[in-house]
Amino acid sequence: MKKNKIFDIIIFFVAFSFFIVLIALLSGIFFQTSFALIFKELTRSGLWNAIFLSVKISIAVILINMLIGIPVAYILSFKKSKASFFLDLVSTLPLTTSPLVVGFAILITLGPLNPVGKFLVDRGIRFVFTAQGIILVQLIISFPFFVNILKESFDSINRRMIDLAKTLGASSFDILFKIILPVSINGLIAGAAMSWSRSMGEYAATQMVSGVIPNLTETAPIKVFVKTSYGNYPAAIAIASILMIFSLISLSIFKLFYYRSKR
Amino acid sequence: MALLEIKNIFKNFKDKKVLSGINLNIEKGKISSIFGYSGEGKSTLLSVICGITKQDMGDILLKGENINKLEPYERSIALVMDEPLLFPNMNIFENIAFGLKVKRNQQRMNTISGEKKDIARNVKEIMEILGITGLEKRYPNEISMGQAQRVSLARALATKPEVLLMDEPFSNLDIISKTKVRNLIKSIQSELSITTLLVTHDIEDVMSLSDTMFVINNGKIQESGDPKDILKKPGTIDTVYLLGTENIFEGMIDIIDEEGNTIIIGMHDKNGKFIEADYQSGFEINENVFFVIRPEDIIILREDKPSSKAVRENHFTGRIIRTVFTSRMVDLLIVSKEGTEFKVLLPYHAYEIMNLNEGKTVFLSLKKSAIHIIKRKKAKNQMPQMP
Repeated sequence: MKKNKIFDIIIFFVAFSFFIVLIALLSGIFFQTSFALIFKELTRSGLWNAIFLSVKISIAVILINMLIGIPVAYILSFKKSKASFFLDLVSTLPLTTSPLVVGFAILITLGPLNPVGKFLVDRGIRFVFTAQGIILVQLIISFPFFVNILKESFDSINRRMIDLAKTLGASSFDILFKIILPVSINGLIAGAAMSWSRSMGEYAATQMVSGVIPNLTETAPIKVFVKTSYGNYPAAIAIASILMIFSLISLSIFKLFYYRSKR
Repeated sequence: MALLEIKNIFKNFKDKKVLSGINLNIEKGKISSIFGYSGEGKSTLLSVICGITKQDMGDILLKGENINKLEPYERSIALVMDEPLLFPNMNIFENIAFGLKVKRNQQRMNTISGEKKDIARNVKEIMEILGITGLEKRYPNEISMGQAQRVSLARALATKPEVLLMDEPFSNLDIISKTKVRNLIKSIQSELSITTLLVTHDIEDVMSLSDTMFVINNGKIQESGDPKDILKKPGTIDTVYLLGTENIFEGMIDIIDEEGNTIIIGMHDKNGKFIEADYQSGFEINENVFFVIRPEDIIILREDKPSSKAVRENHFTGRIIRTVFTSRMVDLLIVSKEGTEFKVLLPYHAYEIMNLNEGKTVFLSLKKSAIHIIKRKKAKNQMPQMP
């Protein structure tokens, strides 16, 4: 009895100390300068342009994620084979690779000096220093998050139920749209929230292909870095705090639906 | 012509032979059942029939047409499994309507009935038949197991399948729901006469539901026919074991008297008792055989009343060694003076009237007409191993 109490105290002490330190570290930025200066920065259009650009890009990223991610997750979960193992490996690779390296690879491959890049540039398709370039790298970075969460959701579907649906006359299309997707709606939303969050906050890979053109390729995280390097802390703090609120919201969505998908 | 013909189906999983040459015909409008141990490939056979699993060899013919190449959703063969497997994202109404809403069945229904019945009415009808009206708006996690299994059955029946396959549909139900669902299937069968193939390891399911029975053993159909005949007169010793028959004895045929309708068998025990049985063809004098008698066909003689002619046969004296009370019957183990063990099944009231108890000495009679003689397999001299 007594031992269990001590156990509880230790567990809660460690967890809460970490929690308090984390809160202190993150909220520390608000105490750097006066709130008046931060609010003044919030009225500038350049700041909102960067944030809207980030939102636009990340929404495009999510939509493409779903378009590609649902078939990929379907193959990884329902059509397991040796080939799907490699698909799993390749699509998860960006998760363990430095985003900087991913961005660098895109920059080199799609740059005008590379045969692939040259081929595309000659046809007017530019990925370097453009918004579509940013969408591409953010897609690569956020894709594994979406696919893994969705695959996990697909994995938890009873296979015998799927087999039985087939005998009721349901084709693969019926099964995907009437059973698999509705049943894994929580996983789908959780995956989307997670990959959106990842895409909103992506810096390193984005920076590689962005070229930092204000209003065109200067996303919110990049703006934080740019403002910081000029020493304009209130502006950097203003954007950072908005980014933080965004990720808090998307994370809440993720957690809520992820737990639901586990039930 | 049979509605569904299964021809020479083989299926291996890696090195394990599961089905090795299954042949069977399912008659239209009848309930047939496949009976065998768990793990004998019964479920595999069903999933081959409905197309979920592909066979290594062999053909499946529905109404004379080969359906090997058809996808499961094109076969019109519905499956009900041992768990309801309702779609959790749909309520009960939507679950039952599922099969009616898919394109494939809508096209089919139009050709079957000519006129398009609306889905809601179809679902309502089938729910009424199965006694689950009122559950429409509920979700699968809000109903009982017995109800869920009926919904599962309704969902399959709603698609008006050519053949309904049922894979141990009662095994997860409590005894009351089990009886209910069994009776329901029986009455639906007489009403809709849907061709049904039932797979089970419970002989009660077979006896209470089916018109034809197939005994599966070692990946092959070992026997088929009317369940009552097979239960009373199993053709092989393997079937005897499968059916859980007790009272299996060994002996040698001593006298065959066709005119007197009698075969006399010398028992293989120390005292060399002789048993009289009704005449059965195909045996020779001095042939070693098995013979069986069902526990309910062994009669315990009452000491206070003279026995009728029917029970003046094959007498033994023995002691009650063990009694086991089941819900309706008393299961007795009696060992005769000669050391032979008999399992006897008595109604509970009979046990009480005769004032029986463990340790009591009783007189037994094996009904002559109830003794069934089975050939030994040629190569084997020993009793086969109990699996």
